[in-house]
This record gives sequence, structure tokens and C-alpha cells, in this order.
Amino acid sequence: MQDFSYQRPAALTAAIEAFEQAEDGRFLAGGQTLLPVMKHRLATPSDLIDLAGISDLEGISIAGSALSIGAMTTHARVASAAEVHDAIPALAKLAGCIGDPHVRNRGTLGGSIANNDPAADYPAAVAGLNATVYTDRRRIAGDDFFTGFFETALEEGELITRVEFPVAAAACYQKFDDPASGYAVVGVFVSRGSQGVRVAVTGATPCVFRMRDLEAALNRKFTPETVSGFCVPEEECNDDLHATAAYRSHLVGVMATRAVAAITDGEM
Amino acid sequence: MAVPGIGDAVSRTEDQRFLTGRGNYVDDITLEGQVYALVLRSPEAHARIVSIDVSEALALSGVLLIVTGEDWQREGFGHIPTKSAVRTNRDGSPIAEPPRHCLAMDRVRFVGEPVALVVAETAEVAASALALIEVDYESLPAVVDPVAALADGAPQLWDDIPNNLCADFELGDAAATDAAFAEADHVIAIDIANNRVTAVPIEPRGAIARYDADSDSFELYNATQNVHANRDTFAEQVLGIDKRKLRQIAPDVGGGFGVKNGVYPEPALILYAARQLRRPVKWINTRSESFLADTHGREQISKVELALRADGTFLALRTTTTGNIGAFCWTVGPFTPTGGSARTQGGPYAIGAMHYQAKAVFTNTQPLDPYRGAGRPEASFQIERVIELAARELGFDPVELRRKNLIPRAALPLRTPMGLEVDCGDFPQVFERTLAMSDRGGFAERVAASRARGRLRGFAIAPYLECTGGAPNEYAGITFTADGLIELAVGSQSTGMGHETSMPQILAARLGVPLEDIRYVQGDTDATPIGGGHGGSRNLEVGGNAVAQAADEVIDKGKAIAAHLFGTPLDRVSFEDGRFLVPQTNHVLTMPEVAVASLDPGRLPEDLQPGCLNTGSTFARSAIVVPNGCHAAEVEVDPQTGIIEIVGYWVVDDFGTIVNPLLCDGQVMGGIAQGIGQALLEHAVYDADSGQLLTATLLDYALPRAGDIPDMAIEYYEGAPTEKNPLGVKGAGEAGCCGAPPAVVNAVLDAIKESGVTNIDMPLKPEKVWRAIEDARRAG
Amino acid sequence: MATLTLTVNGKPVSAQAEANTLLVEFLRETLGLTGTHVGCDTSQCGACVVHLDGLAVKSCTMLALQAEGTEVTTIEGLAPPGSLHPMQVAFHQNHGLQCGFCTPGMVMASVALVTDNPNPSEPEVRQGLAGNLCRCTGYQNIVKSVIAGARAMER
Repeated sequence: MQDFSYQRPAALTAAIEAFEQAEDGRFLAGGQTLLPVMKHRLATPSDLIDLAGISDLEGISIAGSALSIGAMTTHARVASAAEVHDAIPALAKLAGCIGDPHVRNRGTLGGSIANNDPAADYPAAVAGLNATVYTDRRRIAGDDFFTGFFETALEEGELITRVEFPVAAAACYQKFDDPASGYAVVGVFVSRGSQGVRVAVTGATPCVFRMRDLEAALNRKFTPETVSGFCVPEEECNDDLHATAAYRSHLVGVMATRAVAAITDGEM
Repeated sequence: MAVPGIGDAVSRTEDQRFLTGRGNYVDDITLEGQVYALVLRSPEAHARIVSIDVSEALALSGVLLIVTGEDWQREGFGHIPTKSAVRTNRDGSPIAEPPRHCLAMDRVRFVGEPVALVVAETAEVAASALALIEVDYESLPAVVDPVAALADGAPQLWDDIPNNLCADFELGDAAATDAAFAEADHVIAIDIANNRVTAVPIEPRGAIARYDADSDSFELYNATQNVHANRDTFAEQVLGIDKRKLRQIAPDVGGGFGVKNGVYPEPALILYAARQLRRPVKWINTRSESFLADTHGREQISKVELALRADGTFLALRTTTTGNIGAFCWTVGPFTPTGGSARTQGGPYAIGAMHYQAKAVFTNTQPLDPYRGAGRPEASFQIERVIELAARELGFDPVELRRKNLIPRAALPLRTPMGLEVDCGDFPQVFERTLAMSDRGGFAERVAASRARGRLRGFAIAPYLECTGGAPNEYAGITFTADGLIELAVGSQSTGMGHETSMPQILAARLGVPLEDIRYVQGDTDATPIGGGHGGSRNLEVGGNAVAQAADEVIDKGKAIAAHLFGTPLDRVSFEDGRFLVPQTNHVLTMPEVAVASLDPGRLPEDLQPGCLNTGSTFARSAIVVPNGCHAAEVEVDPQTGIIEIVGYWVVDDFGTIVNPLLCDGQVMGGIAQGIGQALLEHAVYDADSGQLLTATLLDYALPRAGDIPDMAIEYYEGAPTEKNPLGVKGAGEAGCCGAPPAVVNAVLDAIKESGVTNIDMPLKPEKVWRAIEDARRAG
Repeated sequence: MATLTLTVNGKPVSAQAEANTLLVEFLRETLGLTGTHVGCDTSQCGACVVHLDGLAVKSCTMLALQAEGTEVTTIEGLAPPGSLHPMQVAFHQNHGLQCGFCTPGMVMASVALVTDNPNPSEPEVRQGLAGNLCRCTGYQNIVKSVIAGARAMER
């Protein structure tokens, strides 16, 4: 790993200031993606600004009809928190299937969605639950947050502070994970709430997306059978060593059907 | 302190240090003043090296030495020879062996081939220096598939080796086989591929070299499985030094599975660097580098043909295979797809005629060398897959067809058409016991229950037969010390199998002393005059028997001492339960008492000297032994995704005498897990055009995790200890990965049989299973 | 260089560390605690697992400086010198290790697993060990060890 300077500010403003002063600064959240990348010298920042010292960024609370999760909250905490289990059990389940237990003890919600790996799990929940991403300077609707392959709406130096997930009546995340990496080959998050049905797909394409035509059909008739007939075209799917585009396209249908079935069966 | 017996489940001595973090692996060793070496590896699959510019890297502060192929050539160092037991082609001409140098000279032939060595004060500086070496490559076309490499017009790796053909091999009787096929009622043929995998011991390879200028001698601490043979090659064939001046020590080694057996270039490079710099040099591979720098295993593309009579009797077997051996002949690389896969063709079945033909082929890939089983898993897979297809095509019950053709006990001993001496065993009994364990009676109900949940259930049974290998001789030395300890030094070596427990267990049982009195030494060229290291499931067979033989010699000598002390004639002294005694008298001396006397000149007869009880003995294998057994697997397949779950796994093994069932279980379980890994998950994949290894990290190469491996029920058949060695042992280390791939693959194919799918090549990744079902459905 | 102050195996430690020093490097090279191993470079194998404030983490995927002010426990500190933790005993009795290289991480992961879930089922153990690779044992005896260790830890 190439050398860099390390800072751990205790306040948000100090972190932003440190970033602005750095030549090529990066925020360090849980580090479960960034540090391996740096070990392979695929990223060589001049400064790492560790966010772990900013206590405001960590924590889980219920705010009205929404669940608010601090950006630095670990996957393990989300997976085990009673508030999450009570409000959105599918979100707890999703957090509990990211990586492995040790990764979940370090990896964070903010780090995951800021990175927007096309095979990451959290983006499916943010899009699938119509969450709102709060940053140091604004709020961004979940639908607007993920803009492309490893790209988000975040501006240079903009820092996620927390994410607010509206409590859905029912939700389910179905994941087909890669046996080597644990990443989602395909993951489908289905939610059903007062705003209607949402279906978000991760892993299949370069960036998480919603299947709006399927959502409309499910709004009319929420049954597993409804899913058949809707697919993500093969041409739009990722095709790599781990799965062909055709298989990913097929898996989206299987995972969506199973998510809907689980919701209708009440096993979320 | 109890005296252990042969067959006791003794838990391990070495666990104490491993469980408390006090193991001593090579990366745990720090020598005074050590510096760090890294290897620059070729990013090209096939290219001419136009130039190498190291000036910028050398100028970096902290860089101490850079070695290139040109330097190596200037020093006049030799290349690393292959020790393949197959040396000639079917026509008697020698196999092709191109020179394998420690560093590429003017051309690179696979991604990962060492191009330069960098030594620096720290590993970080060495890494920065690597990035500053400028190599100008002129790319050449590459070929990674062995069948494509044989074709006319394929890229040629070696100017003097036509069609990339290393070896053209055959074994068996072609005429008899052809005749049997001609008169057969049925001929079943299958084309199968045995996937390329790699061993991935969790400890990456690494070494530290130290040079002492005063004595002009070297010490090499190396994560290797084979200190003696590799020492000899480094010294005599590569560096041109007196091998007595090179001591090689393998400290605790974190897994091997064959991949740490061969002779690699890096240790030779750092020995040289240590001499140049007069400082200890340490080199440790990263995991990602290991995928490019450790040998791979398997990879054969085969046609298997079985001739049967109308009633299902097997008449003849013909196997034609193409084995990829990578860009060079590695230490025994050409042997695996040729002799290594030939010997156990046909498994435990009575087959009158067999013919095996193999081509070993060079490609622009990482060289292949033995990986746990080294040819026998391939042979087992070949026969079991063709039998499964025969049963399907001809309408036989796969269990019945196998049962009908197993070699009966009364037919043993016999010599197979491949020349393998099968001396003992009871294949039908082992088969029936495995079946009984697997609850066939409840299967139909389980199938129905699975179906109700949208899952397909399948079963397969896979008897196997394999053989031991590796160095045929082994040494055991027993030394009695004044402090009452017995030092046992053996030239075989554990990389996790537990020799530190099993070998002293044999000695303790023989001499009637507690395990605690024995100190075990292994993995050190100074500790034993010879040593065959680890490989071919050889340890108990040759190492264990060397210990038993040495112990018997100690007992004979002890009798002479006891007779002197008793004042009785030698022929009246006997040895029972650890005691020398004269029956019907009160003359009794324990082994430790005689050991103490053996060091005291005043208590010895005139013709014996103090230390006379110390014994070194070499056991020489008369013939390889034949472990065998039977695996059975039950699986559930989700046809919508292709996901496979192994829901039942049963094994009965015949390893002859079981010395320590606890450790033996561990060998079987580990072997099965690697076999399941090969069957379902693991695949080292090269890009056909660029020759890049696509599975070069653990993010891409799937190793089995705890959730991928089922609980296995394991039993032993001990009714046929071999008479080929005094302990009656047959070897256990590689059996698991012979039985598991065919058991699992055939069970999956059984589960999806209604789809009409008859073959899917390993690994059976969910997508392949789903696609095979889909394609069959579409084809109607 | 910065001064890093933390508690390792119950003892206060203060030592110099570079920003780019990983926690595992600090433990192995600066403190000489070589029981924590490095088996990969992509955070897959778990040979480097230690406890950080009681949680199992991969010490190869943390900077040493991120451990400022924390309590780290390595395999060397799991039990007082001369004694074994019940989980270590269980691994020994059930032959839950062979080459020993993955073992420190496996044991640390197992202790954390049982701390979270004192009475795990076999599937829960298998899932809970998803972050630890073993190439020798086929996992069966590890799973057996963890279940036995859990029972012993309850007592």
C-alpha cells in the first residue's frame, strides 16, 4: 500500500475541511472495499479521512414513519438492531447477508452506497424502499442517488450523513450470491407500502434500477404469477465470468417471483 | 501417561502450538538484517522480451538488487529438470523437455512467469521498484487450450517442439481392446473434461535464504513439502554448489496438497540474492500472486469408451485423453496425464482389456503438476462417468450395473490390464456397506418430498480404487537422549496431516512408551540422511513402516542389552508390552530402563558402545499399495436456478490398517471437500485470446466454504490389510478427491435425468445446470 | 509515523505506526504476535481475524491507526498463558485443525460467533464461518468443534 496521510477528525466540519485541503483525499468509512483496493495499489489517495471519530454519523432511530440509519452504522448493527427488525425486517435480513460476519462488523451503510458497486446489496434497499439519502449539504431521493456504474449523485467532497428508509408494509430481498465473493450476482428487493409496490434490482446490470413496468403490474395484482412476462432484457445485463447476461436476466425473474411469493406468504 | 496403540484416536500433539498462535510458519521467521524480495511476473501470455530496463528501479532508495534472466545466464546457472517417471513416447523416443530457467530469458510463455527479482530494504520499496522496471514485450499469439494447441497452425511455444506435443503415451493392450470392442454388444462413449483447478493451501508459498560467507554455506527456510529432493535440485542442478553446503528446513507448513512439492524458481533466486547481498532475503507470495505462481492441477479432455455385453458385463475400456501441462514440464508435470492417470484406469471393476492413450501438451498457461491425487481422480472420474452413461443409455440400474462388474474378493490378487497389482480388498462388501449407510429404502419418499418443494433429488454411488506414489524409500532415525527422551526423525513431512502425532504413535505403540517421551523431527535436510517428503499418500506406507522397522531394530538391540543385564542367554529374552523379560523369572526391564543402560558403558556388554540403541533404518517399498473404497452422494437441485445442495454423503474406505481414525477421518473429509470443490465450484479459467488468467483472486476462484460442504458419514473396512508392508497400511490422503467428483456429478445428473441431460462438465455451477436443463427442454 | 496507543491482549501498548501499516502488520511485525496470519489479499480467507472491542474483524482490512484506543485480542491472548480457552480445547478434541494456518482466525471467529449466539445450530455455525476459509478439514470437524466449544463456554 502506498503511503498517505491519515486523519481522524471528530466533527463533520473538520472532515470536510480536511478533504478540501487534501490533494487527493478520500473519506474512509468501514474500509472493507477501499483498503483492499489500496493494497493492490488500484487507488492511491494522498489523504485518508477516517469518519469513525464522528459519533453523529452512527446510530439507528425511528423518526415518524421512517427508519433513520447513520452513514457509519455497520451492517452487523443494522442486521441485529431491534428497531430495524421491528420496522423493516427485510432490511435487517439484507444487511445480514452482506459479505461475511467480519466484513459486516466493519462495513457501513454510507460506504456501501457511496461506492455503488453494481453487485452491492444496499443499493437495492435504498431504491426498493424509496429511501432518502441525507448529506452534509442536502437530501437526495433514493431514485436519484445511483446514477451509473460506480457512480452516484454525490458531488466532490459531499458526505453522506444518514439514510432514511420509509417503513413499508412488507418487503423482501432475494439474493443469488456469488460463491467466491459473496456479492450479489442478482438481488431483487420488493417492497409494498402506502406508496405502492417497488422492485429494485442489483447485480444484474451496471447500476441498480427499478422495474417500473413490473411495479405497475404488481400494483394491480400482487401475485408471484404476475412476475412472469416481465424481464430485464439480456442485452442490458452484465455478462462476465460469474454469470452470463442470459442467466442474470433469468435470475431476476426467479428472485422477483420468490420475493413476491415470500411477501404474499407472509415470510419476510 | 498412557501408551497409545495402533488404531487409537489419539488427538494431536502439534495442536497446542497451532491453537495458541505459536506455530512457526516461514513468514513468522525474522532473521537479523533480513531484506525483502518480490518477483516481477510476466503480464503477457506469450511474448518476446525485447528489452528490460531496470535503471529507474535500481535508483530507488532502498533497492538493493535486481536480477534478470540475463544476469542468471551470465552466472551460468542451470535449468530445473523434470523428474517425470514417464520419459519416453510410445515410439520409444524421449519426451520433449524444454529448459525451465528460474527467470525468463528472451521469451515469456505464460502470465506469471518470473521475469526479474527485486530485493529491497522493505517489501514496500520492493513493490514500488517492481512498478519501475520497464520491460518491452513484443506480443506473440497465445494458445491456452490443449486440443487447440495440438492443431496445425496453432501458436508454437517452442521452436523445436512441433505441435506443442510434450509426450505421446500409451499403456495397455490396443489389439486386445480393439478385439473386445469389435465383439461387444454395446459400445458407450462419452466426451468429458476434467477442469483445471489449483490447490490454494491457505498459507501462500514463501522462503527465507541465509548465506554464511565464512563457511560458504546456505540455509533455506522454505514452505515446501520436500526438503531433500528440492535441496538437491537447487544445489546441484541450478546453482552448481555442493549440496552439503545447503541446509533446507521446512518449518510448519500451512497446507500443501501437492502444490508445494515441486521445484519452484523463487527459492533459488533468493539463495543467489542472499549470497550476493550477504544478508538474509525473505520472499512471501501474496494470494493473488499465488494463482499465477503456484502450479495448477488436472485439466484433461477425454473420450472414454466402454464395451459391454448385452447383459451389462464390461468387456473393455478405451480412454483417449489430452492433458494440458502448461508452458513447461514442471517437476513431474508430464507424468500426471500419462502414467499418473493410466495406472488406475477401470477402477475396481473387472474389465478384460484396456487401452489408455494420452497426449501431454504445452500451452501458454501456468504449468500443471500433481494436485492431491495427480491422475487418479481423473481416472476415477473417467470410468464412473462412462458407467453412469452406459446405465442410462442401456436401461440398467446404475447401482446394479456397478455391482455386477465389481472385482470379486476371490479374484484377488490380480494384475489389472494396466499392470497394477491389486493384492487385497473386498470391493463388493465395501460397496454394499456404503449402500446400506445411504438408506436407499427411504429414497423414494425423499424424492417425493423434494419434488413437493420444487426440488429434484438424485443419488449416485462411486466405488474407487487408487494407488500410492511418491519416493519409494523412507528413513526413520531413533535417538535415545540422556534426559529420557526419544527423538524420532523421519524424512517424510507433514503439511497438516499430523505426522507429529501419528508417527510417534507407531513408535510408542511398538516400544511401549508414552507419546510424551517422544520428540518428533521432520522437514530438515540435516535431520535425516534421506527423505521423500510428502506426496502420493506415502507417509504411513513408507514413513510409518520405516518407523516400525526402526523400532523393531531397537527392540532387537535392546534384547542384547537386557540379556547382558539379566545374565541370561539372548534367546531367552522376549519383549512384551514395552518390557524386556525372561518368561517365568522376575527378570524385567522397561524400555526406558534399557534406554538408560544403553548410554552407560558400565552396563553394556563388551561388544556394544554407548548409544548403541540409536537406530536409523530405511524402508524400501516393494510395490505400491492400492487404497480403495466407495462414495455415495445424495443431492437436491433447484431447477429454476440450478443451485445444488449435497444433502447426504457416505463413504466406506479400505485403507488397510487404520493407525489413527481421528486423523484418518480428517484426511478423508479434507479430500472430499476438495473433490466437491472441483465438482461444483472451482475452475481456473484462462481467456482464450489474451491468455490472461481470469480467476486470479479469491474473489473469482471459488473455494468451498463451510456452507458448501455437507456432513459426511465415514466408515472403514479393515478386513483386508495389505501384506505389501508390515503395518498393513494403504494410504489415505488422496482417496477423498478420487471418489467425490464422480459421486457428486453423477448424483446431480441423476436428479435432473428427466430433462434428458446426460453430461455437464465440471464445475457444475448453477448456471451450467440451469442452462443444460433449459437447452434440453428447448430441444424437446 | 504516528504513535498508536491501544490495548492488546489486556496490556496497554504504545508504538509507532505508519499510516499505511495494516493492523495485521502492526500485530505481527511491531508486536511480534505472529499467531495472526495472512492468507489472502482480498479479504476472503479470514486467517487474520482478531477481536476489536469484542467484535471479530479482519486485521488485514484495517489500518493499524484505525485501532487507536481500542482493545484488541489475538489468538495469543484468548486464554491466560499456560491455559486454553474452551474453544481451543474443543478444536483440539474434535480434530478441528490440520495445518493450523487458518486456525487462529477460525478460533477467533468461532468465539465471536458463540458470543453472539450461545447455542448455534449446525447451519448457523456453517453460515457464521462464511468469512473463514479452511482447505484441510472439509469443515466438518470445525463445525463439531464450534458446537462443542459453545457448550463448554456456557458452563
